[in-house]
Amino acid sequence: MFTRRSFVQSSSLLALSSVPLFVAQSASAAAPNKDGRVLVIVELDGGNDALNTIVPHADEQYAKLRPKLKLDPKRLVKLTDSLGLHSALRPLDVLFQAGQLAAIPGVGYPNPQRSHFEGMAVWHTAKFDAEDRRGYGWLGRALDPTQGNLFSVGTEVPTALRGRRSSAVAFNRLEDVLLSDPHSARLGVGPESTDGLLSFVRRQEVDAHTAAEKLAKLTGDSSGSIYPQTALADRLKTVSRLLKADIGARVFYTQQSGYDTHSQQSFAHASRLGEFAGAVAAFFADLKQSKLLERVTLMAFSEFGRTVAENGSAGTDHGTAGAMFVAGPTVAGGVVGTMPSLTDLDKGEPKMTTDFRSVYASLLEEWMGFAPEPELLKLSRPRLFKV
Amino acid sequence: MPTDLWAPYTPDEKQPWDLRRVVHLHRRAAFAGTWDELQRDLKDGPEKAVARLVKGTANLQTGHEFYATAALLFDAAQTQGEIGRLKAGWFYRFLFGPHPLLEKLTLLWHDHFATANAKVDDVTLMRRQNDTLRKHATGKFADLLNAAVREPALLIYLDAQTNRKGRANENLGRELLELFTLGVGHYSEADVKGAARALTGWSVEESQFVEVAERHDDGEKTILGQTSKFNGTNLLELLLKQPAIAERIVGKLAQQFFGVNGLSADAAQQLAAGLRERDLNIGWAVETILKSKLFFDAANIRNRVLGPVEFVVGTARLLELFDPAPSTLAMADWSARIGQDLFDPPNVGGWPTGKNWIHSRSLIARSNYAAALVAGPNSGRSEPYDPAALSKKHGFGTKPNDLLTYHHRLLFGSDPSAETMTRLGGAAPRPMVTALLSSPNAQLG
Repeated sequence: MFTRRSFVQSSSLLALSSVPLFVAQSASAAAPNKDGRVLVIVELDGGNDALNTIVPHADEQYAKLRPKLKLDPKRLVKLTDSLGLHSALRPLDVLFQAGQLAAIPGVGYPNPQRSHFEGMAVWHTAKFDAEDRRGYGWLGRALDPTQGNLFSVGTEVPTALRGRRSSAVAFNRLEDVLLSDPHSARLGVGPESTDGLLSFVRRQEVDAHTAAEKLAKLTGDSSGSIYPQTALADRLKTVSRLLKADIGARVFYTQQSGYDTHSQQSFAHASRLGEFAGAVAAFFADLKQSKLLERVTLMAFSEFGRTVAENGSAGTDHGTAGAMFVAGPTVAGGVVGTMPSLTDLDKGEPKMTTDFRSVYASLLEEWMGFAPEPELLKLSRPRLFKV
Repeated sequence: MPTDLWAPYTPDEKQPWDLRRVVHLHRRAAFAGTWDELQRDLKDGPEKAVARLVKGTANLQTGHEFYATAALLFDAAQTQGEIGRLKAGWFYRFLFGPHPLLEKLTLLWHDHFATANAKVDDVTLMRRQNDTLRKHATGKFADLLNAAVREPALLIYLDAQTNRKGRANENLGRELLELFTLGVGHYSEADVKGAARALTGWSVEESQFVEVAERHDDGEKTILGQTSKFNGTNLLELLLKQPAIAERIVGKLAQQFFGVNGLSADAAQQLAAGLRERDLNIGWAVETILKSKLFFDAANIRNRVLGPVEFVVGTARLLELFDPAPSTLAMADWSARIGQDLFDPPNVGGWPTGKNWIHSRSLIARSNYAAALVAGPNSGRSEPYDPAALSKKHGFGTKPNDLLTYHHRLLFGSDPSAETMTRLGGAAPRPMVTALLSSPNAQLG
């Protein structure tokens, strides 16, 4: 049953260097092995309105549920005869046309949580038990065996990245992770401690100093690609710089907030989606130009979809099943999975058609080359990657 | 009669009143003690030390005409509509206020009733909320809750204006049950819907809380098993009667005064029971904690990660950087870089706690802040910190080992180990202080 790849090379290096050095040389090669592959996550914070993201415009029930918020079918980005993307997502059409974008509707899990925190905790940990949801995250756990490195480009380390042995760094600007007095900082670390909390802080300090030293070697990157002037684009640009510098992280995590659209959502939702699509399209154009495309898959998710019926303030409330996007060089492009019915509802909301954990399992095993945990292996998976 | 787990602390041979415990008290209940404050409390004993903190007379170094200055700073921030100045004004209160415990509890309630100016975008309302939280910080929870959920800033943050009869918006109702009062597991989805209906009509007009009768759904609602024509006020009354609310308050206070999981379930339950008997009097619970054996127990010392505000303010106070003081604008900015941006918590759930404060970026920012304070300019001070001058002032020598011993006692209440002496004893004074402040140990308290 032991299908995990051998990580002899990487584990013999420093804890930080989960990408073996030879990958740096082979980064531009056509088919790097899986150790060099990177996963970029974009969390759409607040609960993205899935129904106005992947839109079942041919379903007459759609217009009934959304008298004010329904989108004009003619303006949608065509996916299939019955489904289209919100027009603000048009920048993603390049990826879709290239067969590198999977749009997954109806993604959820049994007994969905409608609280931001509980919902996010489930997505971050891939655990349903309340106790487990306070523990380590799905990506942190996946990188534990290799003591891998995860980067959060934002203000905090999300639960998803927390592991027992893997370590996560969070930052906004590269300057934020450079030490102004590295000598004194190192002098302060001191010996190992038997105290659990102190030992935790010490380990984090050692990791912090190593990361800072690596980043200090980064020179300013002013290469050509043009990114929109948005917060998410800035973050993805930072991810790209770190990739170019071969910083050694296998997972990069970013967030885009503002999806909690309880009222007057049309404009706000379109702006968020536009910012998302613009940033992702620029990021992939940059990767292509830098010959890094073969190494990167991006996944976007939100903690829940919103109520399929609009509320009285031209907004939507907390719902259940949501929409995911996966983009990358080996992705089986198109609509993956099934659009849930808008008439066969459970407590007013659509029934999920794809378990998010099965998408995680595909990303971990088929893209990253990790062995998913047994409970993820049991799930039937959508065909997310080309064989 | 079960054992009183909250018996008061009386020093004995096993748990003596030593410098370590004085440092502990000032770290948890204030923003760290200066050498003179620590020595005074070491001499006077725990009873007087705690009493001073509770009364707000513990800080020897307070600002000139503090209350007038503090109000002036907030007024100016409000007039100019600059949230950065409001943050700085609060740092002035942290650094120079006579009542650090009150400020800490105000910060704790800001975290509990988390409201972000990123959405509210109104300095006047954020200031108003801050004043309200301070006013009720140690009072009865009923007063705090009733005032806090009627604050315009919070109502705007949670979309109250759009919650109307026939078109309920659940945002406020849900967070009221989940975060402000009961916690997950003590209510159902149907209760959230009922609560949202009860709160219809609560809104903000011209920066004031209003109840708009025509938007209120006055039909019957069933909430937590009770059926009635609940309005917002009745809903709060109902919530305040739930036993779970006392547990939630205890959990919040434990976040400030104990390490993560540092309070046993039994002790938490006993304190919650005491709160229920005393009309949820927050001040009573805080005082009970600070006087207790549990609080001063060796296992509760240095088992908690200092939050960014605690680290930023505490470090400046320890080093007696009062004249000139660091720029409070710079302090607010450093705190944000370390992970705690005042008036802008990351989400409705407030800031992280415990180990979640610790990661590479935050540790690098902590070390950089220490270096900035020691060097001067990057913390807005015109001059560097002088380790020898302070050491000498308090009767220590000025040799490297004397400087190390003084600063080690000041920070941790104990003498440096032989290993620490070897490692840091040879360093130049300022790098030695930066190293000590960057150390894993200095992140706990």
